[in-house]
Amino acid sequence: MGFLDVLRGKPKLKGPAPDRLFAMSTAWVTIETEMNMTSAGQAAIVFQPLATADFDAIVADMEAVVGATGSETGTTVEKHDDSFGYRWMVLRDPDFDDLVVGLNAVNTALQDGGYGDRVLCGLFAFADASGRPVHIIYNVKRGTFYPFVPKPGGVQSRDTEAELRLRAQLDKELPIEPELERWFPLWGVPLS
Amino acid sequence: MPNKLKSFGRDTGLQVRMATTMFLLGLLYVAFVGALFYSGVSGVFILVFAGGMALLQLFASDKMALAAMGARTVEPDEAPELHAMIERLCLQADLPKPKIAVVDTRMPNAFALGRSPKSATVACTTGLMELLSPAELEGVMAHELTHVANRDVMVMTLASFFATIAAYIVQFGFLFGGGMHGGGDDDDGPGFLAVLLISVVVYAVSFVLMQALSRYREFAADRGAAIITGRPSALSSALMKISSGMHRIPSQDLRSQQQLAAFYIFPPGAGKSLASLFATHPPMEKRIEALSRLEMQLQSGA
Repeated sequence: MGFLDVLRGKPKLKGPAPDRLFAMSTAWVTIETEMNMTSAGQAAIVFQPLATADFDAIVADMEAVVGATGSETGTTVEKHDDSFGYRWMVLRDPDFDDLVVGLNAVNTALQDGGYGDRVLCGLFAFADASGRPVHIIYNVKRGTFYPFVPKPGGVQSRDTEAELRLRAQLDKELPIEPELERWFPLWGVPLS
Repeated sequence: MPNKLKSFGRDTGLQVRMATTMFLLGLLYVAFVGALFYSGVSGVFILVFAGGMALLQLFASDKMALAAMGARTVEPDEAPELHAMIERLCLQADLPKPKIAVVDTRMPNAFALGRSPKSATVACTTGLMELLSPAELEGVMAHELTHVANRDVMVMTLASFFATIAAYIVQFGFLFGGGMHGGGDDDDGPGFLAVLLISVVVYAVSFVLMQALSRYREFAADRGAAIITGRPSALSSALMKISSGMHRIPSQDLRSQQQLAAFYIFPPGAGKSLASLFATHPPMEKRIEALSRLEMQLQSGA
């Protein structure tokens, strides 16, 4: 926020950053071959559903579009509303590239509808060598990625060591979020 | 149709009023500083002293204020839902995560502290968490986060800088004014008296302007909260619940913190008798009216 915006107290909701989502497609090769991680075959995009009529229509259109491309690529889409009032569009596809394409389709549909600033983030689910879930979150507003490794069990604690290790490994492949205080966790990810 | 929500939440009237207030404050201060130097009453000393106080206030007041209000910073494992809610709001508002504090009191309220988004703390009371539904609490926390994003603590501290100086002069003047003229020479007599008078005027006028500025920034924070959450009505409903809760549950502990009243979501001890000219917060009806205008903009997709 600029100095003038601060003086005028003018809040602006940041729109999406230049799209770097497809960096994930290339990074995937490294993740799979060098880091010994496997795709969980799932990805999700999280957004705030607004309680307005045209927003509902845009979401319905978006679901139709993604469903249509999904029938070609074999991607399935599923809706999920979490306890914080955010909506998850969960995409499932064994082919990782199709997941990236599908996520992009959802994001683009919301942007074209004029609601790009309602998108919170994208999320890719992986499993490390021992089968533990590892998430890579895409911050749509900043166009950056960061890892999120929840510790097993119901408690909200994250494996910071594993996350920092992932950052070192992925640094060349992905635009990693430089500020650690913006590595926001997403608890209760509705992916299995 | 690049971004439909760009015009959502625009309030030109508010911007104009806020700019006018700031301009008047600035004008007043420039005149005040001019008068200070013209009269030559150890103005430099007072400036340095008040500057030091303002800096101290900016850099050291957070912890003191938190302690004074009995707020305790909580870790994610102590208040997991609150943390997760604020994390999502920060992601949406593109802010770094602030420290989160909780005050253990029945009185429903929330406030934000900190000179910059990186050193900010947002706090709410246990009473607030009990009273509000998750969506309403989200609106209130988004309001506080907008205070953080707008750097309201910084703006208000800077805006009050000269009012503080004026207050010092008035105080020093009453303390030492009589004694200093005992020397018999009359040189500095009228000069000092003039500065004292100007200071009184500056203090009085800037006080009213500051309160006005505070009210405008409160509106701005409400609007920001509505934009971040996309749910203006949830904040309206929270405000209604809080204001009725405030009157139902009498409380002494937060009321004594008048200095910090400007950063509350709802001013402690706000009674109907308080003249609106001197209020740090706009009346609730006006805030709800502004929020319902936003809801209408949102619904019409304007």
